[in-house]
Amino acid sequence: MFLADAEQRMLDGHDGAPRAQAMAVLSRLGEACGADRMVPIASAHLVASSYQIAGEAGIAIYGDLVAHGARVAVRTTSDPGSIDFARWQAFKTPADYAARQIVIAELLDQMGVIPTWTCTPYTTFNVPRFGEHLGWSESSAVVFANSVVGARTNRLAAYVDLCAALAGRVPYFGLHTDAGRTGDILFEIAPDLAAAFEDHYFPPLGYLVGQVVKDKIPVIRGVPGATFDQLKAFGAASAASGSVALYHMVGITPEAPTVEAAFRGEAPRERIPVGLADITATMAQMGGGDGPIDVVGVGCPHASIDQMRRYAAFLDGKRVHANVQLWVCTNTTVEQMARTMGYAQTIERAGGRLMVGTCHNDCPLAAWGFRRLATDSGKFAYYTPTTVGTECLFAGTDACLQAAVTGKVER
Amino acid sequence: MSTAPNHLQGRGCAPGEFEGEVVLSRQPFGFWQGLDPQTGVVIDKRHDACGQSLIGKVFVFPYGRGSTGTPGIFLEAVRNGCAPGAIVNVASEPMIIMCAILADTFLHVRIPVVDGLPEDAVDLRTGDRVRVNGETGVIEVLAKA
Repeated sequence: MFLADAEQRMLDGHDGAPRAQAMAVLSRLGEACGADRMVPIASAHLVASSYQIAGEAGIAIYGDLVAHGARVAVRTTSDPGSIDFARWQAFKTPADYAARQIVIAELLDQMGVIPTWTCTPYTTFNVPRFGEHLGWSESSAVVFANSVVGARTNRLAAYVDLCAALAGRVPYFGLHTDAGRTGDILFEIAPDLAAAFEDHYFPPLGYLVGQVVKDKIPVIRGVPGATFDQLKAFGAASAASGSVALYHMVGITPEAPTVEAAFRGEAPRERIPVGLADITATMAQMGGGDGPIDVVGVGCPHASIDQMRRYAAFLDGKRVHANVQLWVCTNTTVEQMARTMGYAQTIERAGGRLMVGTCHNDCPLAAWGFRRLATDSGKFAYYTPTTVGTECLFAGTDACLQAAVTGKVER
Repeated sequence: MSTAPNHLQGRGCAPGEFEGEVVLSRQPFGFWQGLDPQTGVVIDKRHDACGQSLIGKVFVFPYGRGSTGTPGIFLEAVRNGCAPGAIVNVASEPMIIMCAILADTFLHVRIPVVDGLPEDAVDLRTGDRVRVNGETGVIEVLAKA
C-alpha cells in the first residue's frame, strides 16, 4: 500500500505516538482490504463514545491517547452516550455507571471531539457534502451519509473511527471508490404496494432489504417518494437487520437518477419484487403482537425537529397512560429547538419524557423491568429484544403514540 | 501449500501464533451482544455456541456479523483475558480483522485470524487441538477430540 510522505512520517512517529498508532491501524486495515492508498477525510464520527460500547478498555485506550497528546485532525462528533447527561438519575442510571460515561466525555473533550452525543450528527454540527470522503462508523449514520447525501464512507468500527479522526485519513477501498458504489440487487416495488405506500412502511421495507442483501448494495425502484425522516428510518432498519452501508432509491437518492445509473450500466445480479404482503409479513416478524405495553420508544435514529413537531401535535391535550413510559430520543441540538418552539413542553405536559444524547439501546434499563416495548423504529425492533430484554411490538409513529396514551397496541 | 492431512491452508489475516482447543460453530457470530466480555462466555441464546467459554480457545465460525460497536466488546474481552486465542473463519469480514489489528496496536495482544477455509472442507470439531498461524494461514491439527 502506497503511503504519501506525510503519511509515512506519521506512521514513523514524527507526529507523536497517537498518530503513529492510528496510521498503523489504518494501513494494516488497508492492506487487509486491498486498498492501494489513503484518502483524506472531511470528518469523522465516533461510535465508541458510549460506556456500553467502550467499557473499561475504551477508557484505558482513550486515557493513554490523551496522555500522549492525541488531538483529532478533522471535525469529529460523538455517537450517543450511555446516559442522558442532564437527567440520568431520572432514568434510574446507576451513579457509578454514569461516572464512567462522564470520564469518557472528558477524555473525548480533551481530544477535541464535538460532543453531539447523537446517531444523527448530520442534524447537528457534522453535515457531510456530496462526494466528500468520511471516516464514520455508527451504522445508521453511515448509511444516511452514503445514500441520502452521496458522501463516501466505509462502515468503520469502534476505535478505527478514532484512528481516522487522528490521522485525518482512511484507506481508499470499498465505498470510497466509484466501482464500490455499484448496485448489486434490484428490489422492485409491486404496483399494489406503490399504490398504497404509507409512512410506516419505510422501516419494514428497510428491514426486509437488509435481511436479503446483508452487506451488498440494494437498489430500490418504485418508491413513490420519501422524506428526510423516511429515508433515515429506512436506512437505519436496513443497517440493523443487514449491514447495509449504501442503498440507492431510484429517482430519490443522488446517485440513482435511473436504474442504469445505480448499477453503473451493469445488469442487476438479482431482481426481487416486493409487494404489500411482504411488508405485512416483515412487520409481523419485527413485532406483530398487540395488547398492553409498558414502554414506548420513538426517536430511533434520534428525532428531527419535524418529528418533534409531529409528536407534539399528536400528544397535545392528551395524557400518557399511567402504566407506560413514553421516551422520545433526540440530541441536544434538536431538544433546544424543540423547547424554543414549545414542542418539548407539549410532549412533557402529556407525560412523555425527552431522552437526550442516548437511547433505550445504549442505557442500562434493568431497573425498570420493562417487558413489552412498542416502537416505530426498525433498528429498535431489531436490537431491543436483546439490549432491553423486552418483547417488541412494531407499529407506525401515530400508532405508537396512541399506544402510549391507551396503554396498549391495537391492530 | 501443504496437502498433509493434518494441515489446513487458509489465508493469514492477522499475525500471531496460537495453540489451543477448537470451539466450532456453524453459525455467523456477532461479538456485540454475543459474548460476555466479563466471563468470556457466549451469551447469544440463538447461537449454537451459547454457554461455551471462548477463553484461550480457537473460535471457528463461518463469518462475523453485526454492529460497528463490535471492537468495543472485543477489546473489553481482550483486556479482561476473556477473548478467544485465535479466530478461524470461512470469510473474515473487515470487522473481525479490525478487532485483531486494534487488540495488537492498543493492547499489545496478538490474536491470529485465518480465513478462506471452505465451510464443508473444515473437518474440525470442538475439542480438537490445533496450532494457528495468522501469518502463513496454516492450521495444524495436533490432536483430534
